[in-house]
Amino acid sequence: MHVDKQKHTFEPKIIAFVCTWCTYAGADLAGTSRMQYPSNVRVLKFPCTGRIDPVFIIKAFQQGADGILISGCHPGDCHYIAGNYHARRRFAAFRKLLEFIGVDLNRIQFSWVSAAEGGKWVEVVTDLTERVRAMGPMVEFKDLVLEEQWSGNLNNPELQAVYEAM
Amino acid sequence: MTQTIDISSYSTITDAIRSEARRILSDSTVSAVIGYTAGRRKGSTQPIVITTADDADQLIFTAACLNDLVVYLTKAKKDVPKSGRIGIVVKGCDLKALVGLLGESQLKRENLYLIGIPCSGVLGSLLKPSAELTTETIASKCCECSDQLPVGCDFVPTVTPAPLPDLEKRYANEIARLEAMTPSERWEFWKEQFSKCIKCYACRQVCPFCFCEQCLCDRNRPQMVEQTPRPSGNTAWHLVRAMHLAGRCAGCAECERVCPMDIPLNLLNRKMAKELKELFNSEAGFEVRDTGPLTSYREDDDQSFIR
Ligand code: SF4
Ligand code: SF4
Ligand code: FES
Repeated sequence: MHVDKQKHTFEPKIIAFVCTWCTYAGADLAGTSRMQYPSNVRVLKFPCTGRIDPVFIIKAFQQGADGILISGCHPGDCHYIAGNYHARRRFAAFRKLLEFIGVDLNRIQFSWVSAAEGGKWVEVVTDLTERVRAMGPMVEFKDLVLEEQWSGNLNNPELQAVYEAM
Repeated sequence: MTQTIDISSYSTITDAIRSEARRILSDSTVSAVIGYTAGRRKGSTQPIVITTADDADQLIFTAACLNDLVVYLTKAKKDVPKSGRIGIVVKGCDLKALVGLLGESQLKRENLYLIGIPCSGVLGSLLKPSAELTTETIASKCCECSDQLPVGCDFVPTVTPAPLPDLEKRYANEIARLEAMTPSERWEFWKEQFSKCIKCYACRQVCPFCFCEQCLCDRNRPQMVEQTPRPSGNTAWHLVRAMHLAGRCAGCAECERVCPMDIPLNLLNRKMAKELKELFNSEAGFEVRDTGPLTSYREDDDQSFIR
């Protein structure tokens, strides 16, 4: 009984950084329960949210992510006792930094999803995907990467002359 | 209106530093004193490490004593701390960095002899080292400094710094200006700034808190940050730097001073300091803390941004 898959012009890439003990298990539960959620999400499994370094998020954006999800155990449930408390502070700070350099925070979602919350996983992922879809592609970091390959002005008179001669 | 800032106390301070350095070196309280001495250009200064009482007269304190000397105590510059108890000249901002390093167990208080400076401000740049200290030429960090009198030092010359005139809060104003922009205007601003970076790492080299044996940004297996001085890697470097210093930076603004490309680096650090103060009521000060805002937590920390 498959619902007809809606066609979209833009399929955002969502990278989910999840801890293995809660959210990964929660996502797994959603899968084994045959719940449907957008296939836009690529799940990366970490031992704990405490292991998720802000640099991973920068890297994900550079490599083409349009939205980011960071998710782990509820406070008090971290397998390593306090990893998520530390992560909570770190990401509270990192959000402020991203905001300050001009990243739209709507592209980043943080959540606590336990191993039993397959339904919540579906909700979180669906909402984020639709929100990011509405926002369109994340171009900022990708543009920087393109400039990394070629920094010259693409429509300078010299190149223009070459194009025209072709 | 440009006003002159009263630094008449600096000659008294210079005399006091010299006699104290002479005393602690001759009675072997310390094996060396890190301070400032005259540089080659007229009016300029440079750091010096003296090891004999005879050299004490080389020490000076002027409005051109910009360096945060604390960087010479960190692991990255191994030789100095290895040689027993060390005397060091610190301004209030430098002392805050030193206190941060004590908190991070990088230094031991008993190995240090702190000579604190009752500071009336220093120049913003050494380009014109003999310039008069005025409300224009004073360093931006001094305009927002509330710690002119260092606390907890072993010796502080007994002079009272003249109160500073009203100074424009340059950092705070610039942060507010940026905050009022739209996200895409901010992105353009920082893109322009970061694109100037030549990855000389002078900012990292001069930072008392960048004492890592191997910087994350130098690693290439796996490579987390593109190393060439190109826009993408530059942005990543600046974000990583801001994050690694968040909750630690003491605001000495040395990064910004040494940057050859005039990137307003300390804006990022000060913005983070401001946010961490608001979020976790934590800021750099004169009191040694075992944990900083990002190395501790409370169970009831705000999580309104988490679903
Ligand atoms: S940027 Fe970070 S990893 Fe690099 S030296 Fe500074 S604190 Fe260490
Ligand atoms: S000092 Fe300036 S140019 Fe050099 S690495 Fe730091 S920000 Fe870039
Ligand atoms: S193990 Fe899940 S957040 Fe620490």
